[in-house]
Amino acid sequence: MPRAGQGPLLSVQGLRKSFNGRTVLQGVDFSVAAGELVAFLGANGSGKSTTLRCVMGITSPDSGSISIDDTALENLQGRELQQTRQRMAMIFQKIHLVPRRTALDNVCAGALSRIPTVRSLSPLLFPADVQQEALDCLDRVGLADRAFDRVGRLSGGQQQRVAVARALCQRADVVLADEPVSALDPHAAEQVMALLRELAHSEGLAVAAVLHQPDLALRYADRSIGLLQGSMTFDLPSPEVTAEHLDTLYAPDRIASDTIVSDRTQAA
Amino acid sequence: MTPHTLTPAVARRGSSAQPRVALVRPKKPLRWITTAAVAAAVVGLHAVAIEGTDFKPELLVDGWQGMAAFIGDAFPPDLSWEKTLKPGLEATLVTLWIGLLGTTLSVPFALLLAALAAENTSPHRLVYQVARAILSFFRAVPDIVFALIFVTAVGLGPFAGVLALICHNTGVMGKLWAESMEEIDAGPQEALRTAGANRIQQVANATLPMVVPQFVGLLLYRFDVNVRSSLVLGLVGAGGIGLLINQSIKSFQFDSMLTHILIVLVLIIVVDQFSAWIRRRLAA
Ligand SMILES: Nc1ncnc2c1ncn2[C@@H]1O[C@H](COP(=O)(O)OP(=O)(O)OP(=O)(O)O)[C@@H](O)[C@H]1O
Ligand SMILES: [Mg+2]
Repeated sequence: MPRAGQGPLLSVQGLRKSFNGRTVLQGVDFSVAAGELVAFLGANGSGKSTTLRCVMGITSPDSGSISIDDTALENLQGRELQQTRQRMAMIFQKIHLVPRRTALDNVCAGALSRIPTVRSLSPLLFPADVQQEALDCLDRVGLADRAFDRVGRLSGGQQQRVAVARALCQRADVVLADEPVSALDPHAAEQVMALLRELAHSEGLAVAAVLHQPDLALRYADRSIGLLQGSMTFDLPSPEVTAEHLDTLYAPDRIASDTIVSDRTQAA
Repeated sequence: MTPHTLTPAVARRGSSAQPRVALVRPKKPLRWITTAAVAAAVVGLHAVAIEGTDFKPELLVDGWQGMAAFIGDAFPPDLSWEKTLKPGLEATLVTLWIGLLGTTLSVPFALLLAALAAENTSPHRLVYQVARAILSFFRAVPDIVFALIFVTAVGLGPFAGVLALICHNTGVMGKLWAESMEEIDAGPQEALRTAGANRIQQVANATLPMVVPQFVGLLLYRFDVNVRSSLVLGLVGAGGIGLLINQSIKSFQFDSMLTHILIVLVLIIVVDQFSAWIRRRLAA
């Protein structure tokens, strides 16, 4: 999708959300530029997933403004809103592909919004140009040779790359990933992080990823954002993030984690 | 978690003589009363049911000779080809065809109603309720009743049996399918929704392909049940081996009846083995 605006590709301001009176996000502001990989760090329950889900529109925020390419979503309606939203794709920790279908068919599903409903009833009916585009997307994640394998047969790391290819086939230029490597072994995690960084750096996508491994964040992300109980504690280029910064994120949890650990050892 | 959070917990556990946390189970005083009430209710229900069905084992003991004479008359089974075996095998095939068509032809209706009657795929709450009601109706009316209704339209014969099975099976299979769709992992469907796919696209490309194994398993199970139901339908005039069993009983040809029952036994075993084989292949 050609760029229209001059500012950051994704810009989020004053995001607030509470569930049943409990405030989960208390004003989150951040932006992700085209060509940039941004990491979100924070303890369990700090609001990382809620942030991404609000941006994606899976959860509706109480207030806040989300802009893509300098166009605020709240000013759009109907078809235009839908088309702008589709510039964002989400990658999930649990991958959420259909295991019984081939990698190619799963990637084609990213293009469903461009396929007429009758032609999307079965993979056999998918238009040839969509299938070709899906194969190209698989090629970009290095899996063109596995296109006709069932996804269930692929390794976890390969499955997550297929999920990335599906996002590409959606023609998204903003990719939000919620713990994309948490279910992967260290080697596969490195591969997927390298892929996300390459998509940002070489293809100009705006990528935001929630990570639970600070070292991965600092090695791969251009910028890291710390979330603590629904507020941002830092938003810095990764090389400037220090051990103290990280301590503030995970330190308040120390008392809680101590009891959890002692529970575990007693149960064991 | 840093290692030093672990150390105190382990040390505490190893060294202290006094437990830091006293073991006190939360008291639930009403628990045994509830158990006793449920047990009493179950016993009471059974007493009423035994009364209501004239359940008297002594009748069975007193009347065993009648049963023995009946079974004795059936031996040896009549294995004459022209009179019993050939018509029996032909009728068995009809029974099988009734069960087959009754199952397969209900698939489109069951599929549509299941998709409308599952919470995660139904387009609207109202549609959901209506689809549920339709399924309940088709499930509640026994296939025999449907058969009697269709006989008045299309006359006695296998066709009425097929129509009856289609109706009843749509209700049962639609319900089972809807439930298996509701139990499926919602993740892939949500992923397609965020990608901009519409409801039908989500169902066709995430929900349905995810439930295919469960659907096929339930379809085979229903095929198995329907072949046996078509036997019973034969008794009320829908043709097939059920009809022959009925006729041989009415004309006191118990040796032919036994042959027909043995053929049915083989049919049931074959159908059962066939579904088991497919299910195994599916799981692999
Ligand atoms: N749908 C919901 N209803 C009620 N509370 C919710 C809901 N979704 C999230 N929360 C609460 O919001 C808080 C933040 O949750 P969130 O999932 O955003 O945290 P997170 O930073 O992603 O944590 P984790 O690292 O465990 O994934 C949690 O306390 C959670 O219980
Ligand atoms: Mg989360």
